[in-house]
Amino acid sequence: MPTRASNPNFMNGVPELLILKLLQNREMYGYEIVQAIRSQSDEIIAFGEGVVYPVLHALEEERALRARRKNVNGRSRVYYTVTPTGSRRLEDLSATWGTLAGAIQKMLKGPYAKQIG
Amino acid sequence: MPNKLDELRERLLRAGVAPRHVRRYLRELREHLADLTAEERTAGRTGADAESAALARLGGIDELAEAMIRQRQLRSWACRAPWLTFGAGSLAALGAAYFIACLLLWCGWRLFMPAAETPFGYGLPATHALAKIYFVADKSWYYGAPIVVGLGIAIIAIRQRLSSVWPMIGLGLVAYVAATARIFANRESLQSKFTVSMSFLSLPSSRAVASGELLYALAIFSVSILPYLVWRFRNAYSQSQ
Repeated sequence: MPTRASNPNFMNGVPELLILKLLQNREMYGYEIVQAIRSQSDEIIAFGEGVVYPVLHALEEERALRARRKNVNGRSRVYYTVTPTGSRRLEDLSATWGTLAGAIQKMLKGPYAKQIG
Repeated sequence: MPNKLDELRERLLRAGVAPRHVRRYLRELREHLADLTAEERTAGRTGADAESAALARLGGIDELAEAMIRQRQLRSWACRAPWLTFGAGSLAALGAAYFIACLLLWCGWRLFMPAAETPFGYGLPATHALAKIYFVADKSWYYGAPIVVGLGIAIIAIRQRLSSVWPMIGLGLVAYVAATARIFANRESLQSKFTVSMSFLSLPSSRAVASGELLYALAIFSVSILPYLVWRFRNAYSQSQ
């Protein structure tokens, strides 16, 4: 099977955040989730699309997501929705990533910015 | 792709991912691949090109396997705690099966032989055909229970592609406990309660009893392990081809 270059950052805690964020407002199935991530990140986040499923299954196992099989246009798909536990998890993750991003931004613009640059 | 998915399935099972998660993962990957192929065709690619592009987008076997194996919560109990599955779990299953056998014996005794001091050793009148069937069924359940539990262990081991150590330990435990099990049913007088009890792991009273227990344990072990051995041989044979 041919392979694609992946962005390893996708595997370091970011997927949970992105998936929970996307599913916050409506239920989606795996393919839809991946296409939404690709289009909304302007294809900066690249990964083998199949790797989204282990993350979905793990979130479901932690009761952050609920899955149900649904027939749409004659095709059966597993749709995922966020549970109240998932919403709380999203809030925590968003806060953590917000703080982290702020800290990194501060470092990049701070007195050491030239050295870093 | 089917061959690649077979390869992925084997890799995940051998890494300890629970079979139900593996099954669902492969099904969702197939559905995703179908969507990607359709998208590539809509974009103008044809036949093999569309499929090849879709496969590339889906991810390589290493990447797909790695992503699943990394999620430790998706691993099976047999992988996470084999001592629990094949040790405590096997004995609990055997205990439950024996409890059912004792309960059936107790009910049959009360129902068909209320005047007997024990349900063992008494010939039932010929009119009690139903009673005879009942007790034969109960006896079969009692003697079949360790084999059923043993076969369960073998099936778990096959489904999860386990090495032989833990299944052997589980089967050995079940065979030993079953071979040393004794069932008692008696009451002191007709006014006393119907009492059914069991004992386990008691030391044999004579050499003949010890040999009998050993033979029984070996029989349970051999019958139970048969499907697992057949699977191992078939696997080894197909790999050598």
